[in-house]
Amino acid sequence: MSENEKAFIQIREISKHFGDVIAVNKVDLDIKKGELFSILGASGSGKTTLLRMMAGLEIPTEGKIFIDGVDMTNVPPYKRPVNIMFQNYALFPHMTVFDNIAYGLKKDGIAKDVIDEKVNKMLALVKLSDYGKRRPNQLSGGQSQRVALARSLIKEPKVLLLDEPLAALDKKLRQSTQFELIDIQEELGVTFVIVTHDQEEAMTLSDRIAVMEEGEFVQIGTPNSIYEHPNSKFVADFIGNINMFDAKVTSSNEQELALACKALGGEIIIQNPGQTIHSTELSVALRPEKVIIDKQQPSDEDHYYVKGVVEDFGYFGNLSIFRVRTSSGDIVQVSKQNRVRIEDTITWEDEVYLSWEQESLIVLDN
Amino acid sequence: MSGLLINVDNSFRERLWKNLIIAIPYFWLLLFFLAPFLIVLKISLADPIIAQPPFTPLFQDNDDGSMSIYTTFDNYLFLFQDSLYLVTYLSSVKLAFISTVLALFIGYPIAYGIARSPQPTRNILLLLVVIPFWISFLLRVYAWMGILKTKGLLNGFLLWIGIIDQPLELLYTDTAVYIGMIYSYLPFMILPLYANLEKLDIRLLEAASDLGARRWEVFKDVTLPLSMPGIIAGCCLMFIPAIGEYVIPTLLGGADTLMIGRVLFDEFFLNRDWPVASAVAIVLVLLLVLPIVYFQKRQNQELWSES
Repeated sequence: MSENEKAFIQIREISKHFGDVIAVNKVDLDIKKGELFSILGASGSGKTTLLRMMAGLEIPTEGKIFIDGVDMTNVPPYKRPVNIMFQNYALFPHMTVFDNIAYGLKKDGIAKDVIDEKVNKMLALVKLSDYGKRRPNQLSGGQSQRVALARSLIKEPKVLLLDEPLAALDKKLRQSTQFELIDIQEELGVTFVIVTHDQEEAMTLSDRIAVMEEGEFVQIGTPNSIYEHPNSKFVADFIGNINMFDAKVTSSNEQELALACKALGGEIIIQNPGQTIHSTELSVALRPEKVIIDKQQPSDEDHYYVKGVVEDFGYFGNLSIFRVRTSSGDIVQVSKQNRVRIEDTITWEDEVYLSWEQESLIVLDN
Repeated sequence: MSGLLINVDNSFRERLWKNLIIAIPYFWLLLFFLAPFLIVLKISLADPIIAQPPFTPLFQDNDDGSMSIYTTFDNYLFLFQDSLYLVTYLSSVKLAFISTVLALFIGYPIAYGIARSPQPTRNILLLLVVIPFWISFLLRVYAWMGILKTKGLLNGFLLWIGIIDQPLELLYTDTAVYIGMIYSYLPFMILPLYANLEKLDIRLLEAASDLGARRWEVFKDVTLPLSMPGIIAGCCLMFIPAIGEYVIPTLLGGADTLMIGRVLFDEFFLNRDWPVASAVAIVLVLLLVLPIVYFQKRQNQELWSES
């Protein structure tokens, strides 16, 4: 890593214990300046505790946090160049929208006319210019979210921490707000650290994602690398839908890995597995959208295929999801884009052929 | 068609039940608050006489068989002519006000501490606040006499550790009344404050701290304004009974501790002047009710102006 690319937030060996419970266990993390970084995990994975330690609301049991090269580990929250947007927003109910946003500036002793100017500019940025005099209880969920965002951005923090920023919004609003968040982040160039349990949210928002489980990071990478190259069964299962089958190694060398997988029709050869295999019992994973479903037997030699019967299917308009029982008795989930408006549809009890490209298979150590 | 009829019937029944349920507290207030108040008001408008009951009736039979209504404002005028009453009212307000303010300063940290303690401890602490109620109020005030008297527990202790070399004159002074009042009414201050502070969202405090507020600023900007309803409720619950308190000033206070409760007692039982005593009571009620009505109105106005 070159000097100007040096990590903006450096987390070193950080742990947090609550009594006997280890919420965060010796975590290391580097986040770059201006990055939109997500920490993704189920509830109880320690992601919020990690975020609260960055904000200074929780003191680490051990380890260090550096922000912009300065040791922040024991600096109280009111002295950190960091602001947090809380889950459910934590707006001050006894203050107007304007006063909520102005609060951080007032605490810094900034002149009133400067505050007025900055707050009005911020209100315009979050498209709430006419709402300054309202109280939080007179706002909709989406408006509250934007006030909370404005309040946490007004002090121009070096880092903005967002705790489940979109969880309280309904689905439609969540999608539009996602892109608003990205726009604002790009406009201000602030480093965003987002904590979320929603993998879709993490995928669309982030430059990089860290998947967290039981107080530790399981995988850190771009949304694409985490989706297409999960490093464990946990990550593969946690992000998106996936079919997973047991397989046995029959032979392996640098270039080729031969597997016996009953569910996928017997012998499978994986070229350049790109990972060293330690055990003989493996899992082979396959994303539903990478399986081609057809009533005709595929002719292409490159494709592996198995035969099966459609056991269940769901029509979602843009795509259909099938559950196919293969001749080996395993269930394979398949999703199919409905690209053609009128076609010979596949339905219950149809005999089908499932095929996939060899590169689509993900080999996972057990 | 029949469905519609049933609906109408149901909504009528629902309304009936609703009205009935609302009527119960109104009936209660009518029976136990408004009716006695009107009786006292009636007596305050009569003249004292030596008879049973010792005041002139509201409706008087005239010699010619007709009836007339007799009222007089003499008792109220008398209250304003004799400075004793005015001084006593002011002294009562002062005593109740200072006790309430002191109890607020003592009760707030206690309530805050209880609200912030872990759940099992919290229940024990709350129990400790309420436990004194299990012993008769009168007994507890008598116990304070034992503690505060010249050769009492407190003086004995202070002499023993050597802070003082002469016993303090505590009993039968205003100080003793303050101690008694604060001791007796502190739970009424703590409980509403606790109920309010317990609901306070910790994340609001964290948000303030995150935005640059130091600990005392967090308290001043967030905790204090949000606990205002609890403060007002606690102060009302303490101030209202304190202003009319009779037992504490009688047992712990000196001869010069003027409180309206004692005047009321003296007028009723020593002077047997029921009309003046009633007038004293009515003025006291007005003294208490008018500020509360004013407060409520202002609060409502604030609510309306917001929305």
